[in-house]
Amino acid sequence: MDVNIPKSLDELPTSEVRWVSKPIQRVEDPSLLTGRTEFIDNLTLPGMLHCAILHSPHSHARIVSVDTSKAEQLPGVVAVVTGEDAERWTKPIGTVPKGWGVRSLAVDKARFVGEPVAAVAATSRYIAEDALELIDVEYEPLPPIADPSEAMKDGSPLVFEENETNVMIDRTFTWGEVDEAFDQADHVYTEKFRWNRVGANPIETFGVVSQWDPVEETITCHGGFQAPAYMALGVAVRFRIPPNRVRLVAHPHGGSFGGKGGGRGTDITVMLSRKTGGRPVKYIEDRIEYMIAGGSQAWDRRYEASLAVKSDGTVTGLKVKLLDDLGATGEGYAAISAAKPLAAFTGCYAIPAAGYEMTVVATNKTPGSPYRGMGPPPHNFVLEQMMDIAARGLKIDPAEMRRKNFIPADAFPYTIPSGNEYDSGNYDATMDELLKMSNYEELRRDQEKARAEGRCVGIGVVTSIEPGVFNNNIYNILGNMGGTAVPEGVTISIDIFSKITARVGFALEGQGQYTFVAQILADYFNATPDDVRVVCQDTLSAPPHYGPGGSRMAVALSGAVLGASDMIRQKLIAVGSRLIGLAEGDAEFMDGVVRAKDDHDRKIVLRDVVGAILYRSDLLPPGTEPTVDATYVWTAPDRGMPDDQGRAKSYLTAANACHLVMVEIDLDTGKVDILKYFIADDCGTRLNPAVVDGMTQGGVAQGVGAALLEEYAYDDSGQLLTATFMDYLIPTVHEVPPTEKSALTTPSPLTPLGTKGMGEGAMNTTPAAIMSAINDALSPLGVQAREVPATPNRIWKLVQGARDASKDS
Amino acid sequence: MDELMTDNRKVKVTVNGVKYEASAEPRTTLVDFLRAELGLTGTHVGCEHGVCGACTILMDGRSVRSCIMLAVQADGAELTTVEGLSIDGQLHPIQEAFRESHGLQCGFCTPGFLMTIFELLEENPNPGDEEINEALGGNLCRCTGYQSIVEAVKIAAARSAS
Repeated sequence: MDVNIPKSLDELPTSEVRWVSKPIQRVEDPSLLTGRTEFIDNLTLPGMLHCAILHSPHSHARIVSVDTSKAEQLPGVVAVVTGEDAERWTKPIGTVPKGWGVRSLAVDKARFVGEPVAAVAATSRYIAEDALELIDVEYEPLPPIADPSEAMKDGSPLVFEENETNVMIDRTFTWGEVDEAFDQADHVYTEKFRWNRVGANPIETFGVVSQWDPVEETITCHGGFQAPAYMALGVAVRFRIPPNRVRLVAHPHGGSFGGKGGGRGTDITVMLSRKTGGRPVKYIEDRIEYMIAGGSQAWDRRYEASLAVKSDGTVTGLKVKLLDDLGATGEGYAAISAAKPLAAFTGCYAIPAAGYEMTVVATNKTPGSPYRGMGPPPHNFVLEQMMDIAARGLKIDPAEMRRKNFIPADAFPYTIPSGNEYDSGNYDATMDELLKMSNYEELRRDQEKARAEGRCVGIGVVTSIEPGVFNNNIYNILGNMGGTAVPEGVTISIDIFSKITARVGFALEGQGQYTFVAQILADYFNATPDDVRVVCQDTLSAPPHYGPGGSRMAVALSGAVLGASDMIRQKLIAVGSRLIGLAEGDAEFMDGVVRAKDDHDRKIVLRDVVGAILYRSDLLPPGTEPTVDATYVWTAPDRGMPDDQGRAKSYLTAANACHLVMVEIDLDTGKVDILKYFIADDCGTRLNPAVVDGMTQGGVAQGVGAALLEEYAYDDSGQLLTATFMDYLIPTVHEVPPTEKSALTTPSPLTPLGTKGMGEGAMNTTPAAIMSAINDALSPLGVQAREVPATPNRIWKLVQGARDASKDS
Repeated sequence: MDELMTDNRKVKVTVNGVKYEASAEPRTTLVDFLRAELGLTGTHVGCEHGVCGACTILMDGRSVRSCIMLAVQADGAELTTVEGLSIDGQLHPIQEAFRESHGLQCGFCTPGFLMTIFELLEENPNPGDEEINEALGGNLCRCTGYQSIVEAVKIAAARSAS
């Protein structure tokens, strides 16, 4: 069957689009607002036990012995597992690149503070935690390595002795005539940057309830799984059982942002269940566990970047050198965040040549995790700071500097040097809108006035590309990442009451995913969102799926919904036309009826066609199945494997944003206040503009955190110093500014309805924007901030340095 | 371990108008008591150290963090949780306002915000921007960036005034 997926709203089979693209209220909200949504910690199963995990206090230590005998004697304790069980029952966690993995419980040595060493299942969490106190672990501390530059040197302690090095990845990419660009440049600007570890920190941590069935040899896990199908495959591989013996049931989560983690907790509870002879075991990660040992930490980076520029401001070359401290292992796909910038390496700019040196190193810190944006937030911070440095050097206004280098609107589809193709865009229009809505010139005058009053005020104007619809293909440059297809499947069915059910493979996570499914189906079948139910199926029942992640869910799930709807549409036409005595080719489906193309009054309504299909086989062509349902699995078209320089069409869409932020720095304390914040962005067709605005604002909040507040700080021995919300500062309502937002719409020519991935864009942009504003504010003092977060302490030191220098001179 | 396994205590509380009597170890936190003993799972646990505010409930009309209180401390108290806001599936005006302004995304922190705002509007039916920020400053939301939550407070306040 040829399946036709509408590429624009006009192609939907409705004469008036009533739901899609409207800011309707979310269908998932009443349940969430009344506290009825079944988050994982709400689940209790008969006979369920509770797990607590013992974590290594050392960043690097040989495990000499683990004595669990006293813990096992505590009343209420049913089972204890250690590295021995993990070695017996599981394989190491898969890693990218290969060979940097450990089991879910440490065997022989611990490689980071917080690494699970043993775990208890007991009748209550309180008793399980008591039992941890009774486990005696003898450690022999080893010299730790916490500095990635030191870790690269000969003679450094090794995180994995068998690898004989701590360097996990060392690749250099050259795209175009980079040396020539720098040789022929009028100016070359070079600068170093430091991005400290930050992370997702959803308000709900990871949780899971696992059950091993010793008779069937099956595993069932209920949990906050962001990508259930991938997680299920991982569990099957690690426990050495076929995938069809693992069933994962995803529960709604309290946020993820890529950093839900969960592999270890899942494995540990399965092992405990196995040891208890098959009782269900629940583990709810507590906040400190999440912060030191969960999916919480991302992007511990040192950068050096160079820009080749002509004296008129035209940028001709970009070189970036990255040293990425990935921590103790290569689990959780964190290393691919060093490679994702290939999908938007040169941002919005027509820079013809670029080079990337990417070094990823293991240290005795918590293993890195994915986090919203997956690499571009720090990369774009570096790129945008370089644009500002060049603009300042050439005395060009920062907005003008960017405009001069934009990829022109008539150049799409546009292939960037690192190989990805941008689908569409109009960056000049976005910038125009930003400058207009913010009254840019007036803001500059306000800034002058403030400076004259002795205030330290700055304006940042930055841009970004958000690569949308992730694909595994470019990550093959790191090794074992699989192919070019990432499936998103849905099954749609229509019942005898003409109500519509959509079955997907993943749970609610906050992006309004069930709402836009309902919007699309309502318009497609002339219904209301209330007529649609979206349900999440387990991994053995759902069609192949991935779920939210990689800025792809809305695009991919729309594709699946529209594909399945089209299959149903074709059946409705085939049957409906026969029922009203038409040749199939003379009928069409529109506004919920099958009708003659040339006589719209000759028609039959959806309800009657569905009724006939379900209950009147005597009226149907022989062989017609008595069901109105269809399954469609969408993947991005036209993706290939990368060449030896990592070049491929990877991410399908390129959304674009321009942010303007005005800040004021208190020179006595170093504190940065955000005075004004404006956003103009273009993510193609917006399925639900209110949801889009909400995710943009949420991205701003996380960007504020990364730029000003949040930091996983370690001491030299690899001890985490910021393991609570008292020390790791999540932005509150006081720090996150309300923003003024304006939407432009350049539809993607390649996607369902012209949508683009958009959930990460503000996180790609906000840290860069705030840092640009800070540096604009600081520029009269002759100092610049090159490290995020720009905490009061860091800014105060810069200001003091400037004051001391001016005293000396 | 004996010192940890002290005798259970009886805890009598009224939650959302319903009287309960249950036993709890002295160390049982109030939120664990509500969730595990009374089955009221609408109150969520986010940080367990009193920073995020997800577990906020009302005790005798005042907001408290149920993760850093013990169940025994609530003995004799009148508690209100998110389950007490809506009646027969009918959303409370604050909940309506949240839905209208898209004041939630994942919804996990939402019950804590609702209780905080409930207290705010009881005390101050027409709060200004500063007062709203002051009240919300103790609740973390990782999804929304707060703008739509502030909007929800304003909608709810305006509606109760009219």
